Amino acid sequence: MKLIAGVDIGNSTTEVCVGGVASDGTLEFLSSVSRFTTGTKGTVDNVAGIKTALEMAMEKLNRPVGDLSLIRINEAAPVIGDTAMETITETIITDSSMIGHNPSTPAGAGTAVGELLSIRHLGQGDTGTPYIVVADRSVTYEAVAELLNKAMERMQIVGVILQADEAVLVENRLKKKIPIIDEVRNVDMIPEHKMAAIEVALTGDSVRMLSNPYGIATLLDLDAEDTKAVTPIAKSLIGKSSAVVIKTPHGNVKENVLPAGEITIVSKDGNRRTINIDEGAVPIMNLLEESGEIQDMVGEAETNVGNMLSGIKNNMENLTSEQTGSVHITDILAVDTLAPVLISGALAGETCMEKAVGIAAMVKTKQLPMERIAQVLTEQIHVSVKVAGVEAVMATLGAMTTPGTTLPLAILDLGGGSTDAAMIDETGTVRMTHKAGAGELVSMLIQIELGLHSRTTAEEIKKYPVGRVESLFHMRLENGGMHFFEEAIDPRLFGSVVLIEPHDLIKIEENVAMEKIIQVRKEAKQKVFVRNALRALREIAPEHNIKKIPNIVLVGGSAEDFEVPEMLMEELAKYKIVCGRGNIRRTEGPRNAVATGLVLSYIGGKHDDE
Amino acid sequence: MEYNEELVAAITKAVLQQINEQNVSQTDRQHIGSAKTSYANARLAEKSTNPKEVVVGVGPAFQREIKATITGIPLDDVLRNIKAGIEEEGMVPRIVKVLKTSDVDFMGLEAAKISGSGVGIGLQSKGTAVIHQKDLYPLSNLELFPQAPLISLEMYRAIGKNAAKYAKGEKVTPIETQNDPMVRAKYQVKAALMHIRETEQVDPKIPIIVWEEA
Repeated sequence: MKLIAGVDIGNSTTEVCVGGVASDGTLEFLSSVSRFTTGTKGTVDNVAGIKTALEMAMEKLNRPVGDLSLIRINEAAPVIGDTAMETITETIITDSSMIGHNPSTPAGAGTAVGELLSIRHLGQGDTGTPYIVVADRSVTYEAVAELLNKAMERMQIVGVILQADEAVLVENRLKKKIPIIDEVRNVDMIPEHKMAAIEVALTGDSVRMLSNPYGIATLLDLDAEDTKAVTPIAKSLIGKSSAVVIKTPHGNVKENVLPAGEITIVSKDGNRRTINIDEGAVPIMNLLEESGEIQDMVGEAETNVGNMLSGIKNNMENLTSEQTGSVHITDILAVDTLAPVLISGALAGETCMEKAVGIAAMVKTKQLPMERIAQVLTEQIHVSVKVAGVEAVMATLGAMTTPGTTLPLAILDLGGGSTDAAMIDETGTVRMTHKAGAGELVSMLIQIELGLHSRTTAEEIKKYPVGRVESLFHMRLENGGMHFFEEAIDPRLFGSVVLIEPHDLIKIEENVAMEKIIQVRKEAKQKVFVRNALRALREIAPEHNIKKIPNIVLVGGSAEDFEVPEMLMEELAKYKIVCGRGNIRRTEGPRNAVATGLVLSYIGGKHDDE
Repeated sequence: MEYNEELVAAITKAVLQQINEQNVSQTDRQHIGSAKTSYANARLAEKSTNPKEVVVGVGPAFQREIKATITGIPLDDVLRNIKAGIEEEGMVPRIVKVLKTSDVDFMGLEAAKISGSGVGIGLQSKGTAVIHQKDLYPLSNLELFPQAPLISLEMYRAIGKNAAKYAKGEKVTPIETQNDPMVRAKYQVKAALMHIRETEQVDPKIPIIVWEEA
C-alpha cells in the first residue's frame, strides 16, 4: 500500500491528511492532524510546522515519515490577511469641568449644588453658602467625618468629593446624609470656589439630572446658550453611577475627530475613488462595492492608515521577494467599533468609548513560492513533494465527502485570515473568491471593545462560551442555566467570569461583566462572518443571486466555532439554502477539507509524478 | 584508641546526665513569653446568619501578649484598616479571637465557619493574613498573604475590601503582593519566637471567643 499525504497550509493552521492507496487503486484514509502554521503562510518558514504535522500523523500509524511515497501541497491562494485598528475620535475635558466615573462604592444617593471648598479651608466658609467639600487622601476618613460634623453645625455642607476610596466610611460617620463621591484621582486639579453640581445615583441606577442638559441647567442656573454648550458634558455622563459638573467659563467636553487619513481604491477599469477613514465602515464598504473589481488600494502617505497599508505590502514583498509594486491590496473589510480610551484632562481617570474603525486587508501576490517550500521539504525529509491543485477546488473536493452533499455545491471556507467561497456546478466549472477578514479580525474586535490586555484572552473568548462562578459549587451559564460541580472548584475562580473549555475553566482577569462579553462576542462575529459570507456568496452565485446556490458546506477552522455556523444558517435560511457545518469524511468535522481533497485528487489524476 | 564496653557505658552515662540536666532547665522555663492569659470568663463566639457579615479571626496572643506585627505596625491600626475595608464595601465586620489554633489557615477557616456570609479573615499576631471561605479545605484559601514583613496598612485595608467583595460574590482582583526571598532569612528567628508566643496562648477548650463587642 502506498502512503500519500495531503498538506494544507492555512493562515493559522497547517492540516495534514494521510491516505493509503492499495494496488487495486482503492483509497483508505488513515490519519489526520492539525497544527499551528509556523511563519507567514506561503513562506519557507512553514516547513517546520509541516514537518511536525507529518511526524504526528505518521506516529499515529507507527511509521516513520520516510515511508510516505508522496506529499501533495496545495497551490495556496496567494492571499494573506492582516488587521489594524484606527481610533477616529478623541474626547477632551477642558478646565476640569466634570468628573464622571464609576466608583464601586459612592455613598448617599441624591443631587446637590454648592461652592467647591477644600477641607483645609473649612474655616473660610460663610454660613449662608452651600458647599461641596473636597478632601485629599492625606486626611483620614475619621478626620474628614469629624471636621464635617463640626462644620455642619455652623455652615451648610451639601456634598463631598474624596480622593481615597472611603465614601461609605465617611457617610457612616456623618450625622447628616449627603452625596459623597470617592476615588477621584486628581483631586488637586478641582478648582476651588467655583459652583458645582454633584449627583450620586441610586444603587443599580445611573445619574439622571447631570446626564440631562436641562437637568444641569436647572441645577446650575444656565441660560439657553450655556445649556446648549453643556450638552456634550451631559452626553458623556450617560450611564455613570456618580457625577460632578463644575461651572467654569471655558470648561467643556469636546469630541475631536482625528485625522485618520484617506484610502484610494483603484478599480480594474482604472477609476480611482477616495474616501476618508473617519467616515466609518459603512460608506467605505459601499464605495468598495461600487468600485467593482479592485486593482489595488493605497493609503494617504504619512497617515496611520497609509502606514498600515504600505506596511502590509512591504511585509509581503519581503516574504515573496517580489519587486516593489507587484503586491496589491485587493480587498478590505472595514468594521465600526468602539475602543475604551482614557479621556485627556480627566480628574478620575475616566475612559470614553471612542469611535474606531477596524480593518482587515488582503494582499494578492502573483504567486506564493510554494515550489520553494516543496523543494526545502524534499531536501529535509527525502520524500518527493508535489505542488498540486488549487486551494478552492481541493476544498470543494474535500467538502464533497460530507454525507448528503451534491453538485452544484458551494463551500464557504471560514479561516483565520480570509473568508473564501467557491462553487462547482455539474459541468465542473469552478468559481471562487477571497474576502479579507475572518477569525483574526473577530479576535481583534473583541480585544479592542473589551479593552483586554492580551490577544490570547480575546482568542479564547471567541472560542468558548462564558459562565460566572457564583460559589465553589455552582456556576451560572450564559443561557441562564445553572451548572453544579461534583467537587469544590479552585478557589481562585470564586466570583469570576470564566470561559468554559471542554475540560477546564479559564479565568478572565479583566473586570468585564459576563453580559458585556457575550454581546461583544456575538456582535463581532456577526459583523465579520455574516457580512463577509454574504459578500463572498453574492460574488460566486450564478447571476450574483444568492438564491441560485442550492447548498453550502461550511469548512475551515472558524466553522468549528460554537455559534458562527448557527448565525450563518439563520441568515441563509432567508434565501432557502441548505447550509451547514461540513463533516469531512464523516469524521473530521469542518476541518481538513483541503488536505483530504489533495489526497482524493491523487486518485482521480494522472500519476506522471511517480 | 581502644574501644571497650566500659568506655561505651561511660560515654552513655555522661550523655544521659547532660540530657537530664537540660530537661531540668527546660521545665524551669516553660514559657518564652508572659504567663498564659485565662479566657475562662469569655463569651464563646457563635455562628451568625447575617449575610452581610465578614468575620475576622485574630490569633490567641492578638492585642494582649503581642501588640504589634513583626515589623512593628500596631495591631490596633491593622485591625482598624481591615474593618474599614470591609465597611467601605457595605459589609459588616465582626472580630473574634481563635484560641483553638495558632495556624493562620485554620484560624481563617474557623472565622469563615461562623461568618454569616461564609467568608472570614485569619489574622496572626505577627501580621500574616488569609481570606478563607467555609467550604474550603483548611490549607486551601481564597487569598493568602504569607510574608507578614511585606504587608502595609494599605494592604490590610485592601484585604478587608477583597474579603467583603468575596462575600458579596463580586468579581475580585487579587491584591498585588510583594515577594522578597530575603525576608525569610531576615525575619525567621523573630517569626518563630512570635509564633511560639502565640501558640503558648492556644486553649482548645475555649475554641473561639467574642473579641470586640459590636
